[in-house]
Amino acid sequence: MIEPSNKKGSSPLWNMFSSMKLTLALLIILASTSIFGTLIPQQQEAMRFARGLSPGLLRFFELLGLFDLYHSLWFRTIIGLLALNLVICSINRLPATLRLFHAPSRPDRSKPFENLPPERSFLVKGGIEDAGNRVADFLRTHYRGVVIKSAAEKDFLYAERGRYSYFGVYLIHFSVLLILMGGIIGSLFGFDAYVNILEGDIVDSVALRGDTTSMKLGFSVYCEEFSVEYYDNGSPKEYRSDLSFLAEGEPPMEASLLVNHPITFNGITFYQSSFGAVPGKAHLRIRKEEGDPMESAIEVEPGIPFSLPGSEAQFQVLDADNNYRGAMGPVAQISVQPQGEGKEEIRFLIFKDIDTLHTRYPEAMFKSPTLNPSTFKPYTFFLEDLESRYYTGLQVSRDPGVPMVWLGFFLMVAGSFMTFFTSHKRLWVRVSMSQGKARISVAGRANKNPVGLERELHQVTHKLQKLLTKEGEN
Amino acid sequence: MINSVILSYTTFVYFVSFLLYLLMMVMGKEIPGRLASILTIGALIAHTFAIILRWVESYQIGIGHAPLSNWYESLVFFAWAVIFLYVLIEWRTKNRSIGAFASLLALLIMAYASSSGVNSQIQPLIPALKSNWLITHVITCFVGYAAFGIAFCLSLMYLVKKLDSSKRKSIFLKAIPDSGILDELNYQMIIIGFILLTIGIITGAVWAHSAWGRYWGWDPKETWSLITWLVYAAVLHSRMIRDWRGKKMAVLSMIGFFCVIFTYYGVNFILSGLHSYAT
Repeated sequence: MIEPSNKKGSSPLWNMFSSMKLTLALLIILASTSIFGTLIPQQQEAMRFARGLSPGLLRFFELLGLFDLYHSLWFRTIIGLLALNLVICSINRLPATLRLFHAPSRPDRSKPFENLPPERSFLVKGGIEDAGNRVADFLRTHYRGVVIKSAAEKDFLYAERGRYSYFGVYLIHFSVLLILMGGIIGSLFGFDAYVNILEGDIVDSVALRGDTTSMKLGFSVYCEEFSVEYYDNGSPKEYRSDLSFLAEGEPPMEASLLVNHPITFNGITFYQSSFGAVPGKAHLRIRKEEGDPMESAIEVEPGIPFSLPGSEAQFQVLDADNNYRGAMGPVAQISVQPQGEGKEEIRFLIFKDIDTLHTRYPEAMFKSPTLNPSTFKPYTFFLEDLESRYYTGLQVSRDPGVPMVWLGFFLMVAGSFMTFFTSHKRLWVRVSMSQGKARISVAGRANKNPVGLERELHQVTHKLQKLLTKEGEN
Repeated sequence: MINSVILSYTTFVYFVSFLLYLLMMVMGKEIPGRLASILTIGALIAHTFAIILRWVESYQIGIGHAPLSNWYESLVFFAWAVIFLYVLIEWRTKNRSIGAFASLLALLIMAYASSSGVNSQIQPLIPALKSNWLITHVITCFVGYAAFGIAFCLSLMYLVKKLDSSKRKSIFLKAIPDSGILDELNYQMIIIGFILLTIGIITGAVWAHSAWGRYWGWDPKETWSLITWLVYAAVLHSRMIRDWRGKKMAVLSMIGFFCVIFTYYGVNFILSGLHSYAT
């Protein structure tokens, strides 16, 4: 199909948007601008990158929306222009396509037979009528729209296949619009959020992405357990969250959430996305060395004050870490608040692996008040164990645009097959008398894939020859 | 493991095939070409067998999965698809001159796969890859990439052929088919590649929807696959404009293959993202 010349009288803007050269330009612009978003860190990752830029450059990047390129106005405008171009091109071409689709069949054309290669015709015994009928039978079983026209000493037979293939391109273009519309519907009426749930915890709201607000779910999600299974080589095999979904007036739904196996509850879908651990209960041993020596073991939750055995003072685990500075093992930060006016709070760290740390680091280090477990005299704190609590990280979303996008995907594939692998094939068979025999000639036309047509014409000629000579002999 | 041994022999045979196809073109004789065809088909059979064997071996060590899950396996399959498509074309067109280019492409891919930087061990599937979409997604993408690879070879041949003026009569250039045939074949390959890439992106999107909760997230791999798709969409549309046929299409098709390479290699090793399973 060659670009039709623009109609006279139509506006220059319309002409511009119905141009295939604009399509080409927009496709290439969209492709090349998309590259920047893969080179410049986007959204959350952009922060660190942005800090390294000079103020002028930073303003330039922000002005152009380069830190969130794919959602910037100018990028969306290019997509919009491409969609407009696509719609206008389709409207412009539709009348011509419809004319082709509704074109009446013209059985008595002689032009297709011009320069016919000799192997496309053969002779058979018998008259025109007999041979013509047999050819017609053959065409009716293999093609559509068979038309027979008799002229002087000649029979013309016409048949065709694949008229609908003119619409394949429209199907693809429509599918692109459906996918874009599905995307718009998703961003307008859907949401994209995440939530971390500690084992044993329950949540009823989630944090929206790209936003600081949280959103009520309208029901609660309880995480009973999160577990990771590993292969022998240490790589992860399975992440699993055992969840319960609790809505008022409904029986709770228990389900295990796995990667690639999302769960939908009340129209909201949950995906296993990440996981992590936070320190849980600290198992402490506290020794008093003066006065009335004593030693006690105690389990404390971080953030909850306890009274120190044999003293008026209060203490609590302020903070804890499963691996201090990535190398020093479990640690707990102890805060002691001595009794009495104006007494200052004392803070120090205690390590679980204190014995091994003593061999690795200089002795003096653990004499400093912040690292000395005996900073609050006459007590010494020991961290016996630090429990960890797993949390599961869930992606939470709803996207009402998905069915439309899926339909678009399906139509895009169907349209591609229609456009590229089917064609409108028209076949003409002429039966004429020659040297007292019937001469059968086969010619054809197709709107695309000339090589495929040649192959088909060759096969049809071969089959007709076989059919007619065999039956003619009987 | 036996599959790797077979694959290294296969690589060597591709090297010999390449030399023979080249010899055929330089000498303008038929015999080395015939020998190259036989060797290439033999190597393709061995290559197929090695992939199946690797699949079986993965089950024997208890982590059974299709051999399409890491960098090494994808390279091996990529090379397989290039040769598979080439053998189909040779059979359909009865022309061997693409062979030198296609066998060289497969040889380069296989040589890279067997280099020390690429881990050829069978690795278990991480949770994100445990999906029924894995096989369809990887096969459609890589057969598509292979079609684009062949289109790249054809474009290169087209541009080389254009140098063929009446003054310079080299046998090598004479062995290359007519530029009209190359142009048409190039277009056919791009159509096959484009449809497969479309299905590849679609299966990837449907999979991403169930794994990550969104069908499109502008992850570098996704974006680069879209860039590739857009470039080839431009190639297909350029057919509709009269003076864009021929040379311009060949150049655009080559740019398209650079995008394919970047989508496949560049994103994994230069950019980072969700898709970097192989690194």
